[in-house]
Amino acid sequence: MVHYKRFAVAVMLMMTSLLALADNTIVVRDAWVREAPPGAPVLAAYFTLENQGSKADKLVAVLCPDFDKIEIHATEIRAGVARMIELDALPIPPHATVKLAPGGYHLMLHHPRRALAAGMNVKLELRFESGARLTMVAPVRRAESGAVHHH
Amino acid sequence: MTRKTLITATLVAALGVILVLGYIAGRTFRDPARATTIEGMTVLEPASPLPEFRLHDQNNQVFDRARLQGKWSYVFFGYTHCPDICPTTLVVMRDVQKIAGGKDKGIQYIFVSVDPDRDNAAILKNYLSYFHPEFIGATGGHGELMRLTRALGAYFESGEARGDSYEVHHSAAIFLIDPEARLRALFAGPHDATRLAQGLQRLKGG
Repeated sequence: MVHYKRFAVAVMLMMTSLLALADNTIVVRDAWVREAPPGAPVLAAYFTLENQGSKADKLVAVLCPDFDKIEIHATEIRAGVARMIELDALPIPPHATVKLAPGGYHLMLHHPRRALAAGMNVKLELRFESGARLTMVAPVRRAESGAVHHH
Repeated sequence: MTRKTLITATLVAALGVILVLGYIAGRTFRDPARATTIEGMTVLEPASPLPEFRLHDQNNQVFDRARLQGKWSYVFFGYTHCPDICPTTLVVMRDVQKIAGGKDKGIQYIFVSVDPDRDNAAILKNYLSYFHPEFIGATGGHGELMRLTRALGAYFESGEARGDSYEVHHSAAIFLIDPEARLRALFAGPHDATRLAQGLQRLKGG
């Protein structure tokens, strides 16, 4: 009887975790970290979030042992003045794609604990309001503006 | 409190915009050929002479008005604790330099840090050499920075401290200074290397 109960609990737990997986409808892609000048105190990370589900969610935190602190930011240009705004959370509406890209939303990565150069990878954990967690691997890249083509 | 601050800031910003627009409208009314904008470049006619100012560069050499004479200068204001818009703009500047031809010694590229408390010469040197070894980094005391920014119509202000850090709000524009140290044109952005390079070509051409 005791064994049966345990088994039932185990099955229920498994089902719950499966449900949690099925509910995790946010997909992350195109992640990268902008290579910064040597010794730069802050870096930026960019990526695209796609909410494939019908429920709104929010990105609330990002964790990575390579940095002292990570904040969600928006660069805003108003009346010709650029400002960085720290966001408590980044909303991801249902069936929407939210891009973090140069000149807009980005992660501000404070004080790298190791030197990060192009070609290296950074592993970041994204945490959402719904409780969902996503791990992404972001390659460090040297940024190009795209105006000059390299041959 | 935050909302109150936000509302106050919005009102102040709105008032500022109205005043600036009013000022521009007033000037335009008196002198219709004062400023024209073509392809993101606003050209001042006539060019506006800059006052004396005294900053230092990334090698701790004096950087004053004389350093702007004899060359065209692209000038951008920013700070090194700026992970997004500043490196993005410096990459555009690097591309302008490539398009204009690295050989063109008649053009210089200047990053003025408006965060002199954190950006000293050594930090600026390290930071800028990553983008291009010939880029000039300059900064200086608050008052001297103000002499330059006021003359260009540029803006900077430190934001509220957040823990041990703070942001600096700054103009997003790139300013084009002519070889007589006069403000000749500005690019409001978003910045495009081809447009920046062609803008200068157009001014040089006539």
